[in-house]
Amino acid sequence: MRWILIFFFYKVLMRPFLSIFVGVKLVNSKNLVYSGPMIVVSNHNSHLDTMSLMASMPIKQLLQTHPVAAADYFGGSWFKRFLSKWVLNAILINRAREVGDKSPTEQMISYLDKGHSLILFPEGSRGAPEQIQEFQKGIGAILKRRPLIPYLPVFMTGMGRILPKGEKLLVPFNAYVVVGMPCIVKAHEVESIVEEVKQAVLVQRDQFHHQFNV
Amino acid sequence: MNYFLSNRFADNKEVLSIILVILGILIFATVLFFILGKIFRGDKVRELQQRTKSWWIMASVFILATVLHPSISFVAFGLLSFAALRELASISKNIRPEDRRVIIWCYLAIPIQYFFAFMGYFNLFIIFIPVFMFIWIPFILVIRGFTVEIGRSMSVLPVQLMFTVFSISHLAYLLSLPELTGFNAGGRGLLLFVVFLTEMNDVFQFTWGKILGRHKIIEKISPNKTWEGFIGGFVTTVIVAFFIRFLTPFTAFEALFAGAIIAGGGFIGDIIVSAIKRDIGLKDTGNLIPGHGGILDRIDSLAIAAPSFFYFVYNLYYA
Repeated sequence: MRWILIFFFYKVLMRPFLSIFVGVKLVNSKNLVYSGPMIVVSNHNSHLDTMSLMASMPIKQLLQTHPVAAADYFGGSWFKRFLSKWVLNAILINRAREVGDKSPTEQMISYLDKGHSLILFPEGSRGAPEQIQEFQKGIGAILKRRPLIPYLPVFMTGMGRILPKGEKLLVPFNAYVVVGMPCIVKAHEVESIVEEVKQAVLVQRDQFHHQFNV
Repeated sequence: MNYFLSNRFADNKEVLSIILVILGILIFATVLFFILGKIFRGDKVRELQQRTKSWWIMASVFILATVLHPSISFVAFGLLSFAALRELASISKNIRPEDRRVIIWCYLAIPIQYFFAFMGYFNLFIIFIPVFMFIWIPFILVIRGFTVEIGRSMSVLPVQLMFTVFSISHLAYLLSLPELTGFNAGGRGLLLFVVFLTEMNDVFQFTWGKILGRHKIIEKISPNKTWEGFIGGFVTTVIVAFFIRFLTPFTAFEALFAGAIIAGGGFIGDIIVSAIKRDIGLKDTGNLIPGHGGILDRIDSLAIAAPSFFYFVYNLYYA
């Protein structure tokens, strides 16, 4: 049942909307086809970030890929919780957890161990357009415990103009999603893993700017 | 299906023959580059093959948009304007982040302009963007209240509308022109005439430039443009215009003149977009069509050639 809603939302609604109306373009979209588990890591400027990644995936992979969202933001009401689970295919994690709750890392690893994939925005929140903030430690904690799971660095540009944080009106602009090659992490400590992943995203940005001479 | 195919299409021998010519050229180019690709292996032939492939896509979309029901053609040209304006607004560094909401007004002008073209309201069609939007955009900018560098936005946004919406909508208006007695090809013929010649002019200038090019015209803006390419393309376009004048109501002399307007206008549009790109430091304005850059790179010549040609034919035969 669930796949009908997810398929309808991402493939029937979002995909033509994003590519024809909004103007989101994928660079190296072939790299976005993978077999899980995989951690897709990207910079974050807009709600459209998740939509663009999910809408460009094959349907089978789509069902086993979960965007990771903050429970305090997306779990606020029953309607939001319903949307997250049944339409967006997201998993909600507690950023500020109570004693005894399952930790966010545990939660995400349990999905990875089932062979599912995650979409992570390690910046935490949508920052100012075209600026990449410091990455949070979560990605490091996961990859330290599951060092053999590959991650996929993705760089996005232009999303912050279409639908920036705090804006309700969507304005079409050209935006690009640059998908890198899957990597296995080399570092062993949490901090250095976070740094390595961040560098991988920055490499995608530099290659994109070089390729299009921007 | 009869509803979609225009009823005059089957009788329109002129339009049918030029479509066959376009398909013939594409098949010839495909076969030629396929054979060349077997003999010489290299990036240059690969690029030519890639370009031919894009021409196939563009030609089929364009031909379909022309022969199907006129309302479909208007929607197709409107979408073309929309994509071009979106691209130009995206690459422009003269638009401030505060102008996001004003750009919505520019997008809204597209359906209105094409509605006027569809209904054939000529007076509204020619004043809506150059007069009304020219006042409305600065007014909205002032209402929004961000005054830092507001003059730049006031000038850039109307110009972008003129270049991508006003100019391209003239192609659509050709389909709304009234029928002339004794001229069978009609608006579709004129549309095919101007688009075919503009695109062929690009190809001719490119080809002559590659074969003979020595003396640069404006090296600072477009290093690949040479006098040999420009003159060769110009002369070839004028000659082709003479031979396909059956698409138009023109006399032989008028057809030659129209060819000259299209070749000259195409060149001007081309270097204007080149200069905009050079200002930003971009090579291609997007990557929608492989081997062909973005949408702007495709419509740059049309943006000047289409209105120039439109007013030429309008004042001669429809005014």
